[in-house]
Amino acid sequence: MSIKYKTLSELKELLEKKDISSFELVEETFKNISSSKTNSFITLNEEVALTKAKEFDQGECEGDLAGLPIAQKDLFCTKNLRTTCGSRILENFIPPYNATVVENLSKAGSICVGKTNMDEFAMGSSNETSYFGAVKNPWDLERVPGGSSGGSAAAVAEGLVCAATGTDTGGSIRQPAALCGITGIKPTYGRASRWGMIAFASSLDQAGAFARNAEDCALLLNHICSHDEKDSTSLSNDKENYLENINNDLKGKKIGIVKEFDISNLSKEVQDSFEQSKKIFESLGANFVEVSMPNIKLSVPTYYVVAPAECSSNLSRFDGVKYGYRAENVNDLEDLYIKSRSEGFGDEVKRRILIGTYVLSAGFYDAYYKKAQQSRRMIKNDFVKAFSEVDVIMSPSSPSSAFKIGSKTEDPIEMYLEDLFTISSNLAGVPAMSIPHGFSKNLPIGLQLIGNYLEESEILNFAHQYQKNTDWHIRNPDSGDNS
Amino acid sequence: MDNKTVETISYLARLKLDKDKKDKITKDLENIINFVDELQDINTDDVTPLANPLEKTAPKRKDFVNSKDRKEVFLENSPQSDQDYFIVPKVVE
Amino acid sequence: MSWETVIGLEVHAQLSTNTKLFSSASTKFGSEPNTQVDLVDLGLPGVLPVVNKDAFKKAITFGLAINADINQESTFDRKNYFYPDLPKGYQITQMTLPIVEGGSIEINVDGNIKTINITRAHLEEDAGKSIHDAYPDKSVIDLNRAGTPLLEIVSEPEISSAKEAVSYMKALHQLVTFLDVCDGDMSQGSLRCDANVSIRKVGDSELGTRTEIKNINSFKFIEKAINFEIKRQIKVLENGDKVIQETRLYDSLKDETRPMRSKEFANDYRYFPDPDLLPVIISDDEMDEIKDSFPELPNDKSKRYISELKIDENEAQIISSSRELSIFFELAVDSESDPKLAANLLVGEIGSLLNKDNIKINESNLSSDNFNTLLKRISDGTISKKIAKTVLADIWDSGKDADEIIKNQGLVQIQDESIIQDIAQKILEANPDQVAAFKAGKDKLFGFFVGQVMKETQGKANPKSVNDILKKLLS
Repeated sequence: MSIKYKTLSELKELLEKKDISSFELVEETFKNISSSKTNSFITLNEEVALTKAKEFDQGECEGDLAGLPIAQKDLFCTKNLRTTCGSRILENFIPPYNATVVENLSKAGSICVGKTNMDEFAMGSSNETSYFGAVKNPWDLERVPGGSSGGSAAAVAEGLVCAATGTDTGGSIRQPAALCGITGIKPTYGRASRWGMIAFASSLDQAGAFARNAEDCALLLNHICSHDEKDSTSLSNDKENYLENINNDLKGKKIGIVKEFDISNLSKEVQDSFEQSKKIFESLGANFVEVSMPNIKLSVPTYYVVAPAECSSNLSRFDGVKYGYRAENVNDLEDLYIKSRSEGFGDEVKRRILIGTYVLSAGFYDAYYKKAQQSRRMIKNDFVKAFSEVDVIMSPSSPSSAFKIGSKTEDPIEMYLEDLFTISSNLAGVPAMSIPHGFSKNLPIGLQLIGNYLEESEILNFAHQYQKNTDWHIRNPDSGDNS
Repeated sequence: MDNKTVETISYLARLKLDKDKKDKITKDLENIINFVDELQDINTDDVTPLANPLEKTAPKRKDFVNSKDRKEVFLENSPQSDQDYFIVPKVVE
Repeated sequence: MSWETVIGLEVHAQLSTNTKLFSSASTKFGSEPNTQVDLVDLGLPGVLPVVNKDAFKKAITFGLAINADINQESTFDRKNYFYPDLPKGYQITQMTLPIVEGGSIEINVDGNIKTINITRAHLEEDAGKSIHDAYPDKSVIDLNRAGTPLLEIVSEPEISSAKEAVSYMKALHQLVTFLDVCDGDMSQGSLRCDANVSIRKVGDSELGTRTEIKNINSFKFIEKAINFEIKRQIKVLENGDKVIQETRLYDSLKDETRPMRSKEFANDYRYFPDPDLLPVIISDDEMDEIKDSFPELPNDKSKRYISELKIDENEAQIISSSRELSIFFELAVDSESDPKLAANLLVGEIGSLLNKDNIKINESNLSSDNFNTLLKRISDGTISKKIAKTVLADIWDSGKDADEIIKNQGLVQIQDESIIQDIAQKILEANPDQVAAFKAGKDKLFGFFVGQVMKETQGKANPKSVNDILKKLLS
């Protein structure tokens, strides 16, 4: 029996019925990974994974996710397992501790089979900036899977694992989920702990999950989200069961369409799919309302001030002194810093560090960073107002389907505009997810659902009802049905 | 974005740009700054900068020692160290 | 040419919390290198800071003591620069909105009282230590100190001489140790001073160019460094040159300041609010809690000793100005012991012993309980004050209980008047010539008789009784 493309729930049932053992599951996972051409993994965890699988089979493991193989984005610190962030500067870094998200999923019994490939330090929308090579979209190996969590998205889309973690700072879960035809969710900022999540832009980063459907995402989120004393930005709101309200009726619910998200210049296929999806929700009893979010057009420039500024500071710790890459043949301390960092970081990372350094430099703080944080508040206020009128906001997840590898690497700004629809939810900190809803040029495209603060259950409910009435999420690269 | 500015910010970030890449990166930086300069046109009078989306404030930790001695692990995994210390090239003050 | 000096001091006080400002590693001094380094202190990828409640408590306590404003909402900023003992490549500090603003400290220079205003006091984390002489061509880093909480206290540039600077430091030292905010051990680096020094012509309103002398860690060096710098700057200006704004270090061996290696580009710290930390709010309840546990300050203590306990002014000042002595004193004195006597012995005998051994009272063998016992034995007449001094010396060496010593050495005072009378009688009968001389007018001989009785009783006779009885017998 092939385990490829089986959902988390399906695999769980197989394990419970003992139709398959965890050991067999894990073994086949590694077999599938080794024959894969997408380059979605950087490090594999064979020995430990097989041992943990045996323990489950011997009845020694418990938990919601017990015995199930999952993948961790290589941005999460995994104790004693190499963690690179897709960068040369951490090529040989072995963390002495686990990220809280990793710890939580482990306690739930899941088995980490490996660390997935990603854009270097989460900077990118195509997974082309990784030191360990680009990730390829399983639907078309000449195309990008999206980024920065390209490896996790590709691994799930290719059926190598049923679930993977990701992180989303400007769309890095939602955009690859869309381009790879799977479901991905980013919860409210602060809902998941950032302890052990290697920091890119601290006030925007958030952990989340990829899976084959919304129900699976909800189960994963139950364990990913937690209050953590070690993270000062961690929310202390009560834990929620995201499966509880997933089957609620959508009758009378209001869905917002953002006036300022102009989709008229996107491809016909993208627009058609969007209209189709609207009809599905209407048939389920929801109504559409136009909402105006006048400041949303500031999202991309705001993001490209805040994120580089924070990352330029967060990445200063990579100095070759205490851990990570240290250049050879250094003459003095300055040489050590400059050579280690210049040789260790890729171009996009360097670009963003330089932008960040510039916007924070003397005399520019008010004009850039402070201005951007003010703009952020204005964007947040737009969301608050919109959510007083609607229950969720809907938009395409990304402007188009997967582009060819190498086609957008010349102009960074062209790449930045990939995040047009997703970035505003990171700036405001609201939860958002992407579900597959059609194809454009035979490649998957995604529908984005944005919810109000702490309303992950709401968007999961919408997504699940949609998936009960459609089959986009069941398609896969092998099913031969790309239309 | 003139050469001197790029040099200054490169030094502040302890990055050295390859000669052949320097021009492209300078141009990229210029374009990106022009792109974000759009923010200058907005009116932000009386708008408080956003520190945290949910207006959260800092939790405070009780003053109890609760930390492991990881000297060996830290030093073993460092680029250069001896039994007791991290080692760097000589620094002159 | 008449010059005047303008000095501003930035003092870094290491707070005496158990743990660091943002991690729960210990702040204990003197441990093996790199054994008190938390994941957070090493600045590993993925770690996050969580602020220490007690650090705020101590900072606020200091602020209240100097009558400053407390910002119940304060924030943390990142100060970005590269140095090997700064693991994250930035220091977390409070630039924009510090916890304490304003306030003042009184200093006393040769009897003149002057008020020095404080600009601000803020919390920040200390860096690790760089050691440059372990290897010929390498420097080594110990991160034990990285993350230790510092309170940076910035004075207005109102100090006008090296002497005033020392007075200010001493006043600050006394205050922070008294408040249990900092242990004040300058040799361990608990209190460090950066001095900003400039000079200008008398009458000039504009400030001259200032230099900063960094990390001076003793009162003596502060005075010397500042005096050297003033002289140096005067010479520069009198030569027609300009003073260069720079950072300098004081070399105590050569007694001179010299410039630190200058950087090619001036350091731009790119301050911005730390996104991993949120605004810190001190609630009104928390403020009340801090105010309730606010210790009595030396001046108030001294006044209370004088008015309530009737202690001598000089002794009151000495005891109240030392945290250890005042704690010891207050524990030792109760309703059955005489505070005046206690103060007297504490400043006198015990003070000498402390000086001789160069220790603090809490490092000695004398506990406050034992001292209390000793005082009671004097008050209830068990031993005389004179004998008490020998008991004290014994306790100092052995740490034994006062009652035990008195018993074992049979030092109980002879109170029985009939016994004293017998002995006095015997002495007088044995010295007829002196008795005659006394009765003829040589009053001084009274002391001789007292001495003889004391000698006979090994000092144990109650001195008052001896006096009274001898007077009677000799009349």
